[in-house]
Amino acid sequence: MITCIIIDDEPYARDEIAILLENEPDIEVLAQCSNAVEAIQAITKLKPQLIFLDIQMPKISGLELAAMLDPDNLPRIVFITAFDEYAITAFEKQAYDYLLKPIDDARFANTVARLRKDLTPKVLSPIAAEKLAHIPCFSGNKLKVIATEAVQYVYSDVSGVHVATDTELVHTHMTLRVLAEKTSLIYCHRQYLIAPAAIAEIEIQEAGAEVTTRSGAKVPVSRRYLKQLKQLFGFQ
Amino acid sequence: MSLILLLTQQMSLYMVIVYLVSKTPLFKLFTEAATRLPHKVFIYLIFSSFCIMATYFGEQTNDAIANTRAMGAVLGGLLGGPVTGFLVGLTGGLHRYSMGGFTDLACAISTTLEGLSAGLFSYYLRRIGHQELIYSPLMVCIVTFAAEIMQMLVIVSVAKPFDDAWLLVQQIALPMLLINSVGAALFMSIIRDQKAMYDKMSSVFSTQSLRIAERSVGILSDGFNEESCMQVAQIVKQETQVGAVAITDTEKLLAFCGIGDNHHIVGTPISSKLTQDAIEQDKVMFADGVNMAYSCSISKECQLGSCLVIPLRSDAEVIGTIKLYEPKKKLFLNINRSLGEGLGRLLSNQILYGRFAAQQNLLVQSELKLLQAQVNPHFLFNALNTIAAIIRRDPNTARRLIQNLSQFLRINLKRTTGLVTLADELEHIDSYLTIEKARFIDKLTVNIEIADNLLHYKLPAFTLQPIIENAVKHGTSNMLESGVITVRGEQLADSTLLLSVTDNAGLYKAKTDSEGLGMNIVDKRIQNMFGAQFGIAIDFKTGSYTTISIHLPIMEANI
Repeated sequence: MITCIIIDDEPYARDEIAILLENEPDIEVLAQCSNAVEAIQAITKLKPQLIFLDIQMPKISGLELAAMLDPDNLPRIVFITAFDEYAITAFEKQAYDYLLKPIDDARFANTVARLRKDLTPKVLSPIAAEKLAHIPCFSGNKLKVIATEAVQYVYSDVSGVHVATDTELVHTHMTLRVLAEKTSLIYCHRQYLIAPAAIAEIEIQEAGAEVTTRSGAKVPVSRRYLKQLKQLFGFQ
Repeated sequence: MSLILLLTQQMSLYMVIVYLVSKTPLFKLFTEAATRLPHKVFIYLIFSSFCIMATYFGEQTNDAIANTRAMGAVLGGLLGGPVTGFLVGLTGGLHRYSMGGFTDLACAISTTLEGLSAGLFSYYLRRIGHQELIYSPLMVCIVTFAAEIMQMLVIVSVAKPFDDAWLLVQQIALPMLLINSVGAALFMSIIRDQKAMYDKMSSVFSTQSLRIAERSVGILSDGFNEESCMQVAQIVKQETQVGAVAITDTEKLLAFCGIGDNHHIVGTPISSKLTQDAIEQDKVMFADGVNMAYSCSISKECQLGSCLVIPLRSDAEVIGTIKLYEPKKKLFLNINRSLGEGLGRLLSNQILYGRFAAQQNLLVQSELKLLQAQVNPHFLFNALNTIAAIIRRDPNTARRLIQNLSQFLRINLKRTTGLVTLADELEHIDSYLTIEKARFIDKLTVNIEIADNLLHYKLPAFTLQPIIENAVKHGTSNMLESGVITVRGEQLADSTLLLSVTDNAGLYKAKTDSEGLGMNIVDKRIQNMFGAQFGIAIDFKTGSYTTISIHLPIMEANI
């Protein structure tokens, strides 16, 4: 059994994929998502093997979403687009799976047949963005897209990953590792990422240090990351 | 008494010279106030030589010379100012001194004083703003009279012995006073008449050219064709009163009016060598009918006897000619010749402007066509994908959507660029929105709040639809929440139709490529058609709303 999630902002477009999948009894649809924020949440939670991902979506495109996924839990991706010459050229070049809207039955069947033989996720670096402009977040039931430069620090605890800006604290399903890789945030503690631009002062303490951000929040620095942090600002 | 006659003879000789000079362009120099150095030098040379000639031609009277030297000194001073006047007087005086006689010193002093005082008087008149009095013959007469009285006083008081001087003055005073005053006045009167004629001519000339410019403005901007050329030719003929006017392009006659229009037929190829030369050499050609014969190349009966051909240019390229004719019995006026050449430039500029405007317009039209031809492919393929999905569940809805899509494509492919009614534009918008709403279902709400009484007003096709498409494409479809678009229409007090499109996305950023392009074209086209007070205005609050307002003139359906 192959598990999958369908991601498209248009209900009938999701419906169409779901109906086509009804003919493939070995593929199970775990969820349908109408935007990237919902999608990253569902992927983290449900860990599907396969996603059908529309490229043109509000706020965060399919390509941006692909860049946000944790490489450890990466599903195989089938991109879907109505018309995007640039992306199609890239897909062809990297031999990624993609479908064009409206979806051709034979092509869909071919794609599924190929996936059955080999479901290994493909390396996305050739098409995925190096740096993220946005971080998909939520706060209660509300979906929020936070601009990367607005983030002061990020930390994880048992309840998940939390993103702090100077005005609010929201949550994300992205991992610290992906955020450290794809944004300018740096590790200052095993469970903390900090934006260098947000650092106002660093106070050296016995077991490490404590950063005070420009908005006055305190962020712990572990001994392991202290040296790098000091060097970043030219301290020896 | 005989002295009066002799001096009159002398003066008459001057007047003949002055009259002859007055018919040459040099004379124009007398008619203007001398302000620059070369001009003053000219005045000095002319009037100094008058003084010297007057001394030579003077009558020997009792070991002295009765003369008209005062005329030169006074006129030099009046026309040239104090310095020039002084120098004229000094030159005349020194020359007189070199001739000797018992009044030599007295004459030298008095002539210098005459020039200087006339110059000072002229300076005074200019200072008080009455320079026109310099040209008044009566004033000149009085000034010369006064100057001569002064000369007589100087002779009596300076020349020795006094008895001889007194006797001399008794003899020469009356003739010299009389002749010099009258002569200077006559001289000035010739100058004044000539000046009046020049002024009148240049004012006639300016009026004529301004009237032609005024009447012909805009005609050629609409195109260089038979109709517009005929209008221009008629205006030129009426204003210049020449025998006939023709306009050609580089191959054929486009317009002809006046004498000979029975055989100069519009549309016939150019046959005159003169015109062909003007086009080839890009030069004004003139056959005055005297030095260079002109004869009509079409008919021997033709009465036209002289012809001026001026090339018309658009950029650097000759695109035709305008020709002015006079009949055989009439002289081609010089004024019409220079007017004609100016006219060539004026019309060339208008043609150039017309082409420029036409190109601008063409550019906007073709950009618009491009915009319409570019049915957004995302929209099209997503629409087809939606319909494909709906067919499975609800074939009737799918059929309706296909009809809407066809309707939308048909109007886009037809590419109407003229005016449509607001009702038509809303129908087009409805086809578009029906499909968008099917794609996004409950995530897109559109409210159209336009009163029925506005529906018959006209607007350029594709004015409102691209703005609404932008609101979906760059606005609501980029929201995680539900999108709401509100379209409003309102008739403002100053007979402006205000249409506005508001979305709740507030994602407007100035100069985003495709959004900016579409909106710019709509804006540019409205301004092109109706003027700068109409067009598009943008108001937005990031994350909250974007409102695009379209201002249009109120246009009823029946116009």
